[in-house]
Amino acid sequence: MPKFSLWLSAGILAATASSLTISSPVFAETSASNTSEANAPSVQTLLGKMSQVASRLNYRGAFTYQNQTSIELQSFRVEHWIDAGQQHDRLMSLNGQEHEIVRDGQPVDCKALGDKLLQGNFAGMGESLAKLDDLYQFEIRSQERVAGRLARVLQVIPKDPYRYAYLLSIDEDTGLVLKSWLIDENARPLERYQFISIDLNPDVSQLSRAKPGAHQHKAVVDVSRCNPTALVKPETWQIGWVPQGFALAGQRKLPNGQDMLMYTDGLTTFSIFLEPTTSFAPEGTGRRGATLAYMSRLTVKDALYRVSVVGEIPVAAAAKIAQNIAGQ
Amino acid sequence: MSEQNPSQLLAESISALVDNQASELELQRILKASEQDPEVRATWARYQMVGAVLRGEQTATMATPDFAARLSAAIDAEETFTAAPVAKRSQGWMYQLGRVALVASVAGGMIIGVNQFSATQPVTEMANNTAVAPAPVDSVVSLPSGINAPINTRTVALQSGYETRPQESRRVMFQPRQNNTAVSDEEVTRYVNQMIQAHSDNAAMNSGQGVLPYARVITTDEE
Repeated sequence: MPKFSLWLSAGILAATASSLTISSPVFAETSASNTSEANAPSVQTLLGKMSQVASRLNYRGAFTYQNQTSIELQSFRVEHWIDAGQQHDRLMSLNGQEHEIVRDGQPVDCKALGDKLLQGNFAGMGESLAKLDDLYQFEIRSQERVAGRLARVLQVIPKDPYRYAYLLSIDEDTGLVLKSWLIDENARPLERYQFISIDLNPDVSQLSRAKPGAHQHKAVVDVSRCNPTALVKPETWQIGWVPQGFALAGQRKLPNGQDMLMYTDGLTTFSIFLEPTTSFAPEGTGRRGATLAYMSRLTVKDALYRVSVVGEIPVAAAAKIAQNIAGQ
Repeated sequence: MSEQNPSQLLAESISALVDNQASELELQRILKASEQDPEVRATWARYQMVGAVLRGEQTATMATPDFAARLSAAIDAEETFTAAPVAKRSQGWMYQLGRVALVASVAGGMIIGVNQFSATQPVTEMANNTAVAPAPVDSVVSLPSGINAPINTRTVALQSGYETRPQESRRVMFQPRQNNTAVSDEEVTRYVNQMIQAHSDNAAMNSGQGVLPYARVITTDEE
């Protein structure tokens, strides 16, 4: 591939050298982006809207999803509605095996830490927390039509090697992310989804009366603290290092005995899993789709623990997080 | 953030270059800095990549750090064409324009190269139905240690065929730290999938994208 590319550019180079003022057609095509439109919304406005979708908007839509480990193009229906002060979500697979995930009962006025970070609203949580601006370079790009609606493309590039880049097409009216690409540190798209249709005025009573589908899984609602006003530390573990800007959103004990610690920087999330083990636990890197699992071991006072860092983060971040965990 | 440090300035210059809006001065600054600083090269690579992706050149993996070196060399070569007998003052807008065009066409050439390569190869391979001994996949990017190379389109297309296969999508690519690790893939897969499912509760609450992160787990539930 490098040879091929070089050969091609050498050809164009020669052509350009003989006629200096003629630029290639590719140039004309690729320079089309105009970043300084007068009526473009600000980054803050877009992110602010994006963080409020869940508490303000009812919608029912269909989207396609694809990730790097499978060329399979999947499709889903998603429904979100607010009823009696509570949020309800339903996600259904539309092809392959029937599956459905429902999440019920999160209070409308419950803002998770991620939403607060997205809004840049963490007054009182301490100066130590970095702003999103310090973590990513945001750039408003062109408008795009997605699912029949006008969306604004937001380019999000990390400023350190510990998170991925995003391309988000955000509905200008509602703040709903209509299209999203997650891109790794080597410019490979890891996953993407894109709405194909969206109804912003669904019949809520009909949605709430719908019969449960096959293979229903109920998601846990209270994974994350509501409206956090202070940063907290894990109770039983010392997490020596996390990338700048990540904060603990919640911790829970899973039914299988694992301790789970949840972190977010507002856009990117990862979770740490810890459990005592007596048997041999494999170490290494697992990957499925956009999600990475860095598996390692930890010895605390002669006891062996299995430690895993799971999230949509580069392996450099996951490894460093895992290596800096200690018992208490 | 009122004051700008040099690296921020540089980052903006790189961004402008990727958008084909860099001035001659900025171009010089980037090239100079990229010779000395690998971080600048990496930044450039990142911007270039996102710019390319944004413009719809999805397979634009051409943004490798040595892209800067090649561009630098190309411009050096180009200078010998114009600089020789021509009087200094004639290096006016024509000259400038030529250089910008040159930069752009080098970038354009890289993009074409990558796109054609990745678009045509799988098709021909599949048409010939050659399932034997796939050619080594040539990659511009080098993977950081610990990351598995992604399954390339060709492999998946040949292996999984057209129909939906749930088993395929729940598979975890596992790379053990030691090669002699005796552990079953099935055990690792179960362990990782269980954690991804729990993690998606976090992602669906804290990444500003609603319940869409559940799309990552929904095909892997084992009932």
